[in-house]
Amino acid sequence: MHNTQLVQAVWGGVLFGSVYGLMALGLTLAWGAVRLLNLAHGAIFIIGAYAAYWVVSSLHLTILVALPVGVLTAALFAALLHALFIRPVIGKPGFDNATLVATVGLSIAVSAAALLIFNPEYKVVPPVVPGASIVAGVQITNQGLLVIAASLALFAVVYLFLTYTRQGMAIRAVSQQREAASLMSIPVVRTYGVVITISGALAGVAGVLLSPFFFLNPSSGFNPMIQALIVTIFGGLGSVRGALVAGYVLGLFESFVEVYLGVAWALPGVFLLIIVMLIVRPNGLFGVGEVRRL
Amino acid sequence: MLEVRGLAAGYAGSEVLHGVDLTVGEGEGVVVLGPNGHGKTTLLRAITGLVSVRAGQVILAGQDITRWRPDVIAAGGLVHIPQGDLLFPDMTVRENLLMGAYSGPTWAERRTRLGRVYRLFPWLEERAGQLARTLSGGERRMLALGRGLMARARIMLIDEPSLGLAPVVTEQIYANIRTIKEGGMSLLLADENANHVAGLADRVYLLEAGLLVREGPAGELLQDEALLESYLG
Repeated sequence: MHNTQLVQAVWGGVLFGSVYGLMALGLTLAWGAVRLLNLAHGAIFIIGAYAAYWVVSSLHLTILVALPVGVLTAALFAALLHALFIRPVIGKPGFDNATLVATVGLSIAVSAAALLIFNPEYKVVPPVVPGASIVAGVQITNQGLLVIAASLALFAVVYLFLTYTRQGMAIRAVSQQREAASLMSIPVVRTYGVVITISGALAGVAGVLLSPFFFLNPSSGFNPMIQALIVTIFGGLGSVRGALVAGYVLGLFESFVEVYLGVAWALPGVFLLIIVMLIVRPNGLFGVGEVRRL
Repeated sequence: MLEVRGLAAGYAGSEVLHGVDLTVGEGEGVVVLGPNGHGKTTLLRAITGLVSVRAGQVILAGQDITRWRPDVIAAGGLVHIPQGDLLFPDMTVRENLLMGAYSGPTWAERRTRLGRVYRLFPWLEERAGQLARTLSGGERRMLALGRGLMARARIMLIDEPSLGLAPVVTEQIYANIRTIKEGGMSLLLADENANHVAGLADRVYLLEAGLLVREGPAGELLQDEALLESYLG
């Protein structure tokens, strides 16, 4: 019994942590690289999920086909978001407000469109890897293991990409000193597009992989958006490492509180932790603040 | 190499340059001298596309590059080392240098260029792993020069390389620029101190209130102390 509780808490925590990290990764990347707080991140998340759902339910293809389709659709949508709403205001004084309003508006529009196209019922996106095993009386789902692996792998890939590749370094250069970047012949506007598209693809991965846990309806983007925002602020807006650590700290904390103090304490506990955290370190765990950039 | 014809440029509501004509020949060192606030920086920024051009033309190696985007101009071989260095603060010395060679096609090519800059400035290799924002003023200036050299430049524009530096360091920096020029590089340098540029200037322009008021061989103009006194104070 004692053992079961511990295994349950650890498994739940690592799974929650990976889920949080996966949702926050794209959001924190866009903020860190191009100072875009993309409030349409949750909308892009459900676009990926709905695209995968459509491939499975209407085209009767397997989820293995639906996953890349969902990711691509989300990335394309993000690229469109860049072309229509971000690109025109790059380098202009109203960038922050214009992009906040545009992304909020866009996420409302996406929910409405999803309602019209797919109706308000809950849809079920099948897991990529079905099945589960029982360890010490706790059910370990294969999809859960996949989410953990995918989350860790994507964090590693994004980190390596930013640190070692020419394109990744150009993204950091643009984030740190835009004018100098253009003097190094880096196309600044295109770099914004690249970042936002990658961020959208990451939201799409999260959408397809996490929908089997959350179900899918037109307002399903809201909770992941808020959670991603909380994780990102806790870890420090713009910090990739921060999002990873914050995801696991919050996930494990939530899971342990849930298992040992009861479900009712989980949410208040998490918010208490966040409030204390923000009093002690207002910029988050690895806050990028005003001085430090990607 | 570089030809500027009737260039007018400025910022919202105020024109700073009112029709400037200037040329820089192949391998030539040209210095624009003038007091602060008379348009030296605006001139360089207009040439590189950072300030919008209102009238006139900028021609690089026979090609009209007026109103091109800064990154396209840079890719064309015009390298601008801006005032205040504008390094990438949270990147290492090595990463800053590599960004200078962004237009270089392959990693092998970028590493070759890195080796060449390290040979010229061995100090940069010693500090390769240090973050740019932890460097001193003189070190930053040297990194900015090195980063400029990483591009395959046909001409380098350098904006006031002595700004904010101690005299000893300033001397070092100008010695470095002389080395770059001796390597055959065409240079356009903006400065406010005639003493700094002796030995690297072939020709000098005097810039006053957005207009080039005098032009001549460095040997003549830089000797004319009365003239320099009246312009630079």
